[in-house]
Amino acid sequence: MIFEALRLGPLTVKNRVLRSSVAGRFDNYDGSGTDTRINWDVKFARGGVGAIISSNAPIDPRGGIVPGYAGVERDDRIPFWRKLGERVHEHDCAYILQIVHAGRERILPGLGEAIGLSSTDKAEPMNGFPCRSMTIAEIGDVVRAFAAAARRAREAGLDGVEVAGANGMLPTQFLSSAINDRHDDYGGSLENRARFAIEIVRAIRAEVGDGFCLGFKLSVRERLNELLPWLPSGNTLTESLRVCRWLEEAGVDYLHISVGGGFPHPRNPAGRFPAADVVKTFDTLLSSGRHTFRNYLAFRTWPLNRVFSWWWERPSRRVGIEGINLPEARAAKQAVSVPVLCTGGFQTASVIANAIERGDCDAVTIARPLVANPELVNLFAEGHDRAPRPCTYCNKCLFNFVENPLGCYEERRYASREEMLAEILSVYRMPERVDA
Amino acid sequence: MSSAVSKAIFEPLEFRNLTVKNRIFRSNLSGRFDLYDGTGTPARINWEVKFARGGVGAILSAWCGVNLRGRIVPNYASIDGDARIPFWRELGERVHEHDCKFILQLAHAGRQRDIPGFEIAKGLSSTDRPDPLHGFQCERMTRAQIAETVEAFAEGARRAREAGLDGIEIHGANGYVFTQFLSSAINDRDDEYGGSLENRARLLVETVRAVRTRVGDDFHVQVKVSATEYGNALMPWAPKGNTIEDSVQVCRWLEEAGADAIHVSSGNTFPHPDNPAGAFSPADVVGSYDVMLSSGIHTFRNYLLFRTPGVNKLFALRAARRPREIEGKNLPDARAIKQAVSIPVLCTGGFQRASVIGSAIERGDCDAVTIARGLVANNDLVRLFEAGHDEPPNPCTYCNKCLYNVLEHPLGCYDERRFASRKEMIREIMTVFDGR
Repeated sequence: MIFEALRLGPLTVKNRVLRSSVAGRFDNYDGSGTDTRINWDVKFARGGVGAIISSNAPIDPRGGIVPGYAGVERDDRIPFWRKLGERVHEHDCAYILQIVHAGRERILPGLGEAIGLSSTDKAEPMNGFPCRSMTIAEIGDVVRAFAAAARRAREAGLDGVEVAGANGMLPTQFLSSAINDRHDDYGGSLENRARFAIEIVRAIRAEVGDGFCLGFKLSVRERLNELLPWLPSGNTLTESLRVCRWLEEAGVDYLHISVGGGFPHPRNPAGRFPAADVVKTFDTLLSSGRHTFRNYLAFRTWPLNRVFSWWWERPSRRVGIEGINLPEARAAKQAVSVPVLCTGGFQTASVIANAIERGDCDAVTIARPLVANPELVNLFAEGHDRAPRPCTYCNKCLFNFVENPLGCYEERRYASREEMLAEILSVYRMPERVDA
Repeated sequence: MSSAVSKAIFEPLEFRNLTVKNRIFRSNLSGRFDLYDGTGTPARINWEVKFARGGVGAILSAWCGVNLRGRIVPNYASIDGDARIPFWRELGERVHEHDCKFILQLAHAGRQRDIPGFEIAKGLSSTDRPDPLHGFQCERMTRAQIAETVEAFAEGARRAREAGLDGIEIHGANGYVFTQFLSSAINDRDDEYGGSLENRARLLVETVRAVRTRVGDDFHVQVKVSATEYGNALMPWAPKGNTIEDSVQVCRWLEEAGADAIHVSSGNTFPHPDNPAGAFSPADVVGSYDVMLSSGIHTFRNYLLFRTPGVNKLFALRAARRPREIEGKNLPDARAIKQAVSIPVLCTGGFQRASVIGSAIERGDCDAVTIARGLVANNDLVRLFEAGHDEPPNPCTYCNKCLYNVLEHPLGCYDERRFASRKEMIREIMTVFDGR
């Protein structure tokens, strides 16, 4: 089941395991790509995944999440993505560029505009990242910027684009009943709130034509009240299934199912909240938002940090981590006829195969377990059901990335700390090309 | 400009092993332009070429770490292995195209690691007491670790020579490892590396000898020293540390050990109220000091202090220096050293007026000046002097925002008042990424 080819519209992927979007601040401050990014992605291509969904590539200088992610906001970025795509293709692996506008979810806004753009003037509730409501003209500009980014991905010879519509990014900020407070054509009813996402999909399709794979990542349950209990929960599954159908009509080739109206979220990536590790890098964010100092104090103060960790880890404890989103993916799959990808802690071949066989989804996407074991798919091919040293969902990869190179920071997975350092820093050395 | 002034500035300076075309050197300044692991990037080359093109006679490089444990922050290109040589060769060649020399500054932070990174928790020092300001924790160096450090400098120097660079500078100033040994305020050892001035200077003198032995007699080797430590500049109860009389003696020993020049700075930490002397603006400091909160045991206290109105004002009063006290403030120290040694003496400290520089050289206070902030503001300062300006039309204001932004943003001039608009300022800062 896992090793059966998968069609995503015009694109055929050799198997059912895709690397999900993970970024790492490997690039230059201005968004120009580096060889480190290429080394990083090639690791996974060599490890056997059928396709890689890229890092979060901003479509606009104002739409970045943090500085240091390669962008696709200008034509002169194309050569970098072409080079990266070629290196990944050497391993018979497809490359889908995830195109992103973070809206107000700018954890480090960098130089340039101090205020993010959003559907609303209300600051992001968790960290208090400031924003203002977009004008109709600005909405049009961003829609066109998505289309232009998709064109660049095609010109770079990549295999498709995925609109980052989930996890609190700008399309979520429009879709969400908990965030969007507009009174114009882009707010109010579900149709209106979905208008922005639909316009992006239509504009991309018009720009790149039918021969180029176009996916959309959607948080089908927002559950913002699991972030902070006093927040409204946001879009329900029922609402999101209607959005899925509209996206299908608008021309997407696949849907990528996630959850959570913000990022990170207790269910995405589900797992631990290692407060001691969080404090070490969350400090960088203190000047980014109005509530970051409050949060920093909470994260470093016993017993507040224990309570917060307990709260954060509650959904993972209650429902488990691997395949946490399969019920939602199954609902989406029943609602649409395009392929459905599902993310959420996958790392066991039998779990993945059963999910596909049961019809919960058509393929899975994996981030953390592949960070831990980039060769996971090759291990499956050799007959392993799980990697000998699986991902522990400690989330230290996530909570280190702002200051340190992305990689697996779970010391217990290594023979020694030195081995861990060597593995993390190996991303700065170009992998040998001989086994291509 | 009078012809005497012009003659003094534009007369070549002959060292034992090196001739520099004029008397203005770009002083050391870094910027986090490189990869986390110390791999150099094109942005670093673009940065240095700006100054070479602007007419300085020589560039004293960014802070260049000789090994991992001695790193000051991640993302400065290092010289910790032979694999680094090609990068420095390329950089040197690009700088040489402008008839400009390139001298690599070899450095070891000791305990003064502003962002230690994830690899090694504690720095090495002469002592095991954390530094009093930030509380960076450290271990007292063993004899074996001292020998390894000396060897790392000798190897760094060999690599610089193999890269075709024009010389090296051993960073003996500003609170880094050699200051931690030299300083009577820091060094608390009771072995032959502590106690008397001779003992405290032993590490630096041994390093100069080892470097000289490794690179031979025909390669330029200079040493940067903090002539006066001003250890009590912030906290009046703190010990003052070494005086100019101590440093004059140290410089005599350095000359005997084989140094070709002395570079005079001040202060036993970095930054220090007297280096770079200028403004202390809490609002700007808070914007990036947050990233250091996990670096030391007093950083959180300092952050609170910098955020607290009134208290931060008092701190600023203590830390700030009035603009008219800044330019040439180390000249008396330079003069004292110049009278004691027969090798050339370079002096740093706020220089940006041709008449001040010219008369300092004429008077015999120093043989050349080194400039950091003045050149960040006006990369073409030397060209302006050539064109007859005594002072650039739009001079550096000593606001120190270049310094306070360096941890989180690209190095550049952040004094908005010097630009037509904020947008214009950002455009200028970002030019470092595309080589304009």
